[in-house]
Amino acid sequence: MEAVLSATEAHALEAHLAREDTPNRTARKGFFTDTTICIGCKACEVACKQWNQLPDDGLYFTGMSYDNTVALGASSWRHVAFVERPVPLGGQTAGDLSWLFLSDVCKHCARAGCLEACPTGAIVRTEFDTVYVQPDVCNGCGYCVVTCPFGVIDRREDDGRAWKCTMCYDRLKADMQPACAKACPTDSIRYGDLDELRSIAEARVERLHENGVTEAYLYGSDAASQPGTEGLNAFFLLVDKPEAYNLPPDPVVPTKRVKDTWRSFAFAAIGMAAVAVSSVFAARGVRG
Amino acid sequence: MRHDGRDIDIALATLSGEGAQQIVSGEEEQVQKFAPKPYGKVPGSEGADVTYYDRPMLKQSVWSVDIPIYYFLGGAAGAAMTLGAAVQLACRDCQELREFSSVCHWTGVIGSTAGAAFLIHDLGRPSRFINMMRVFRPTSPMNMGSWILAAAAPASIATGLFINRGGFLGRVGELCGYISGVFGTMLAGYTGVLVSNTAIPAWIAGRKWMPVLFISSGAASAASVLDLFYESPMAQRITLMYGTAARAMEIAAAHQVERAAAEVERVAEPFRRGGTAVLWKGAEVLTAASLVVSLLPAQSRRTRQVAGVLGLLGSFTMRFAVHYVSNASARDARASFRQQREGVG
Repeated sequence: MEAVLSATEAHALEAHLAREDTPNRTARKGFFTDTTICIGCKACEVACKQWNQLPDDGLYFTGMSYDNTVALGASSWRHVAFVERPVPLGGQTAGDLSWLFLSDVCKHCARAGCLEACPTGAIVRTEFDTVYVQPDVCNGCGYCVVTCPFGVIDRREDDGRAWKCTMCYDRLKADMQPACAKACPTDSIRYGDLDELRSIAEARVERLHENGVTEAYLYGSDAASQPGTEGLNAFFLLVDKPEAYNLPPDPVVPTKRVKDTWRSFAFAAIGMAAVAVSSVFAARGVRG
Repeated sequence: MRHDGRDIDIALATLSGEGAQQIVSGEEEQVQKFAPKPYGKVPGSEGADVTYYDRPMLKQSVWSVDIPIYYFLGGAAGAAMTLGAAVQLACRDCQELREFSSVCHWTGVIGSTAGAAFLIHDLGRPSRFINMMRVFRPTSPMNMGSWILAAAAPASIATGLFINRGGFLGRVGELCGYISGVFGTMLAGYTGVLVSNTAIPAWIAGRKWMPVLFISSGAASAASVLDLFYESPMAQRITLMYGTAARAMEIAAAHQVERAAAEVERVAEPFRRGGTAVLWKGAEVLTAASLVVSLLPAQSRRTRQVAGVLGLLGSFTMRFAVHYVSNASARDARASFRQQREGVG
């Protein structure tokens, strides 16, 4: 094993492997999370922590149903939300209480606010169309934290960098599915080609409607249903308003509406320069 | 066994996961820091206005007071550079103002370099600040701002050093003066775009007026500093005019930001209630007071100083108000929900 590649050869080989050897690598990958079959077991949270070797966030009691994770954060990349409602689900015959679960995750948006705002280029789009933060580049400026319309990404203070779900980038490169999807006992979390997931999801909604769960709908499955983000690579099937699960009803990537701001920036800058120059002229004029 | 909340015995396993390099200072401190107060209400008791246990939907900014201080320093520095270049342009032949022009540029040097130090200090990994120059990315106002700062600060230093020299160096100083004037103007305003390019409801509601607020606040503080530290009849006339326009505009822009936010009542809440409202209104009052004092009929060195101090305090408070308003806004999930439901998100 003495064969040594030159840098150019190695690069060409890598590019070839990425493009040719594994045909599924260039496809758009994503998650479809079906909340109607989630049982709230939190296996996804555990699998994520374990595979990615994430530290804990402390153990405490919140009183928020069974949710003691509270929210996604720098070291919680899956979070199961527990929604207790005093209203029955469509087609439900026993009792008038319903309990909804949603395993929340980074949405890997088609237009990602964090990626577009990142000043260092640490946040990149991978060959699987997912959004990935490179920990060796991130300098912890914290801008992505306020630009994510879902409040997903966060900076860990003792670490100093921003972290979020990588969709198990290391596993995807080895042709494995992400740890959460692998661990999910009911297939509430599905991983796969986005197009395939969408047709599965649409069929599932139809089936639920037939069974009387008429409130079922897809959240962020494509650009048409969520123009602000141009669709989510990790989309959901919900049975209540997005707000109930702490999801924004109409998220918009910040760069989509910043044009007006740049325009008023230009006017204000020209205005200040004009005021400065005319102040000097006027002061000279007074002197005569 | 490493006690970092991972419970991994490194004699048996390797730390090679995607999050394995995340540094943990101590488990106990983490618990203290993140532990929320237990939720005591009965779920679903709030009727039509649905939220998830009143938890925030967004993350509030992780920026410390370094950032509003930088807004203030960068704004004042940028506006001073603009004025320095304006003096060069409109007064090529008058000797009286040569010194004033270089005082403006030195104000720019001090403000922009000190501001850069605060910016770097706020980074999670200050040693990697140079990564800001790794890419050129127009979609990121923070990246654009890094390039603007990287152009404005050295240009102002060169101007300060060379502008009053003769010969070739003098001409270089002259040219750098104009360069720092252009980039200084942008330095004073880009932060207004930076805060508007976010998901925070209070910031995006005022997005058309934020750059105006930031630029006029910068100009007001630059005029105040120059009023305090530079004495010359002609320079005073200039700073009076520059400062009066800037202070009036700052108050007007602040009003517009609040009015735009009030389109959705809940979004305007931090401007109108609580500690953030005290900061916001206080900034407006201080700036207005400075405007009145600077325009009193009987002017003396003392009244100019009072106006300068009030103006500085007003702009400084305004930067902190903008910062804390956003944190209050990010904590209120209903603000985002309503803003988006009413189609103005």
